[in-house]
Amino acid sequence: MATLSHAAAATPDADCQARTEDCVAVGNWNFSVSLGAGVRTNPLINGRDIPLAIIPQVSYYGSHFFLDNLDLGVTLVDNDANTLSLVASPGYDRVFFYRDDLQNIFLSGFTSDAFVAVKPVSRDTPGAVQFPSRARRVTYLAGPEWTFKFEGVTGQLDVLHEITAQNHGNEVRAALGIPLMEKERGSSLALNVGVTWESEATVNYYYGEPNIYVAGSSLNPFFKFKYGRSLAGKWRLDAFMEYERLGAAIADSPIVANHYVVTAFVGATYPF
Amino acid sequence: MLAPLIRFKGAGGGLVLALAAVLAGADSLATTTSDAIQLQLSPRICTLSANDKQCQTQVLASWRSSTPQSLCLIVLEKPEVKRCWERYSEGTYSMELVFADDLTFQLRDPDMRQVLSSEVLRVIREAVRYRHKRREPWNVF
Repeated sequence: MATLSHAAAATPDADCQARTEDCVAVGNWNFSVSLGAGVRTNPLINGRDIPLAIIPQVSYYGSHFFLDNLDLGVTLVDNDANTLSLVASPGYDRVFFYRDDLQNIFLSGFTSDAFVAVKPVSRDTPGAVQFPSRARRVTYLAGPEWTFKFEGVTGQLDVLHEITAQNHGNEVRAALGIPLMEKERGSSLALNVGVTWESEATVNYYYGEPNIYVAGSSLNPFFKFKYGRSLAGKWRLDAFMEYERLGAAIADSPIVANHYVVTAFVGATYPF
Repeated sequence: MLAPLIRFKGAGGGLVLALAAVLAGADSLATTTSDAIQLQLSPRICTLSANDKQCQTQVLASWRSSTPQSLCLIVLEKPEVKRCWERYSEGTYSMELVFADDLTFQLRDPDMRQVLSSEVLRVIREAVRYRHKRREPWNVF
């Protein structure tokens, strides 16, 4: 609520003096929704691809605390070049097993399908070993996150440990965001390249089964092209295409059919 | 002496806080070229919250003089606003205004040459603190 005593602005961060693409108002909720069409392929055998249609996004930034969709964090150091935070983020691979995983709500919106089933091997198949169906619960990983910006390139490094006592695995998420075309007539094109490393415990929680398939750790590189363009009013055109190659430990699992995941989307985003 | 608070909706949809007057009689914004004419505005200040881009409110301008006057009320930034009186010793005029910056109200003689009184409706923006948005090249969207 405004009062006269607040008339003189006091910013905690000298680099952020106004709302820009890099800066956000402290204490405000930010909502947006993207409407469009797209798909995320499902690498599991008989796994149905995940449609992308309505993508809600929500974020909140306090002085130190932040909520970014399903990620939570506390920022310890924040300046124009570097940001150091402690973050908690959901385990990602569950999205392929459960359509109603919250990450699919934020990615694909609300769909009628409730479950992405992995169909069991037919009992009539000679020599077939049944891969037991079991739950993969919602997990959260937590750890430090370092992000930086240098010469327009954005970098991110997360070192995370599973904290919900499901698999005690570790994960490293590292990526660079490289602007290819920026702010020309309101358009931007960027290339993100990165890698996800998942520990043996994490990979086996999702893709392994004792006595049937015991995996090692997995290194999954990806690249993503992102395009954005201002439309009429507050509307914005957003499109992206991502290709992630699954490491051998995941790709060799008996329940995995494809060694890659492709995600593509094009739609219009409206910030409220 | 603190003035009463008046709240009203801003054009941006957020809550706008207005102070009808801040300090009565002290450090007045009015510039009176004629001793007998006093111009008052209500509200005198519009404070915009972080989400508001502009003020939208009913503004009441009232004036009083010890002797009958012929004059016109104008708003410098709103040429469409003009209200004139002929041989009156007081007058009020209410108008719905949308504005993002200070508005200057003036009482002028009928020829519009001499400024008889002037008052400013100020716009104050709530202090907004900013911080870096999360940089996240690794993300699912």
